[in-house]
Amino acid sequence: MQIRVERLRVRYEDFELSVDNLLFSANRVSVLVGPNGAGKSTLLKVLAGLIKPVTSSIFVDGRDLARLRGSERAPLVSYVPQEHGAALNFRVFDFILMGRSGYLNIFAAPARADYEKTRDVISYLGLEALADRKCQELSSGERRIVLIARALAQDSKIILLDEPTTFLDLKHEMEIINLLRKLTEERAKTIITSVHSIDLIPRLADFLVMIKNGRILAAGPTAEIFQAELLENLFDYPLQVVEAGGRQLILR
Amino acid sequence: MLISLSLGTLKISPGEVLKILMSRISGMPSELLTSPAANIVLNIRLPRVLLALLAGAAFSVSGASLQSLFRNPLVNEYILGVSFGAGFGAAASLVLFNRIIPPQVLAFACGLLAVVLVLVISEGARNTPVAVLLTGIIVSALFQALLSAVEFIASPYALQALFFWLLGSFSQATWTDLLWSGPLILAGLVLLLKLGWRINVLSLSDDEAKSLGLDVKRERVLIICLATLITSAVVSIAGIIGWVGLIVPHAARGLVGADNRLVLPLSAGLGASLMLLADDLIRTLSPFEFPVGILTSLAGIPFFLYLIKRSRSSWS
Repeated sequence: MQIRVERLRVRYEDFELSVDNLLFSANRVSVLVGPNGAGKSTLLKVLAGLIKPVTSSIFVDGRDLARLRGSERAPLVSYVPQEHGAALNFRVFDFILMGRSGYLNIFAAPARADYEKTRDVISYLGLEALADRKCQELSSGERRIVLIARALAQDSKIILLDEPTTFLDLKHEMEIINLLRKLTEERAKTIITSVHSIDLIPRLADFLVMIKNGRILAAGPTAEIFQAELLENLFDYPLQVVEAGGRQLILR
Repeated sequence: MLISLSLGTLKISPGEVLKILMSRISGMPSELLTSPAANIVLNIRLPRVLLALLAGAAFSVSGASLQSLFRNPLVNEYILGVSFGAGFGAAASLVLFNRIIPPQVLAFACGLLAVVLVLVISEGARNTPVAVLLTGIIVSALFQALLSAVEFIASPYALQALFFWLLGSFSQATWTDLLWSGPLILAGLVLLLKLGWRINVLSLSDDEAKSLGLDVKRERVLIICLATLITSAVVSIAGIIGWVGLIVPHAARGLVGADNRLVLPLSAGLGASLMLLADDLIRTLSPFEFPVGILTSLAGIPFFLYLIKRSRSSWS
């Protein structure tokens, strides 16, 4: 499933974002990168249907996002925030089960099929040991994985993530990166994520979107636009891209 | 329940209560039904016991729902202005209209009016939980001021009646009251219990609930309306009985965790039993009608302090 954005204009808390034309291809990992406050999170929230743009046409697989009701959008697009906002301390299993809510009638509780789906997700991600624990007992790395698990229970082809690796240690950071790759390759998910650290981009991104001051600076396949000049311009900071061990590394 | 029906100034044994109930249900004419005991059991104690049960369940379930909805453990069933709205309504009826409009009716109407006012005002303020809560506090303050104004001009006789109404008691319960409020409360309770899973999801951040496919604004308003409806229905008959809707949900969460699919029905059961017990205590221990609202506050406060000291494992 692909997302096509045309003539998007958003005003959000005296910040303006505008995107003329952008295509996120199906079954790819697309990465949004740019300085703080450039508009990455805003763009993600617009794609998730959480912020209403002033004007735009966003087509999810040819369907106009603005015309979809919540329960119609949820099976197409899921959104993974950096932190969950649960005030109540739910069991991890129930928390992941909440991913099924968009499929349920307002007065209905999850049924057997929803439980099965949730168990599948838990075993796919190897989270059995966490399932009976409480959300608050989890480490921040575990919480991020559980949030992704909830998006998988939602079973949408498109998954949007807001900086899923920020504040994580190296091991958990790589776990998330590898998981996102695996999801596109094994489960044919279309992933759009913002990242904070540009070092991760070559390992993660098929497609790269550079955002600065609410505008798209450059967008294209990572192999083509992951260049020192563009990145320098993006962050206003001198840096170099070097090759070592067959991989691209950033020197700053 | 049988024991509750047998308690009171006139002692009637539970066996006799059962006989009275059976002969009423079977519809057989019997001299038992015309006895004073039967009159007390059927027309005074039975509506009172039923109302106490419904009240406990209604306060607790709306308290539990609103605590989750507003992501705040300190929220109670009155937070959106039901209590002072209803209080003002009762006062207006007793003082200004001399009961031409019954206090129950006006209290119910004003309790609902207060919450509708909260929803309309906070709609302009983006309808976030914090905006709704703050508006609730302001609207409560408004009705409190209006209540004071009415109290100021009231006659001593009307003031006394109002005073007892505000303290909360089940002693005034009649079949007429139960006939309209009972079905309303039951329907509201059933719907809220069925919304338990939705209330779980709405206790996440608005962004999450929305991205999971919920119509957050509408569903929140629906739950607020149901919680308000059942609370005002009770308050309009029994007056303001505090602390039950704040404490019972915490006790229920202490037993079964955070999941509202379990917390709501358990709160209903615990709240109903607790309220019945409180009313039984009053009827047995004191020869005069001690207001149940005072008892629940006196018993509720130490219990709440205990809850605060104990783990708060159900809340972040």
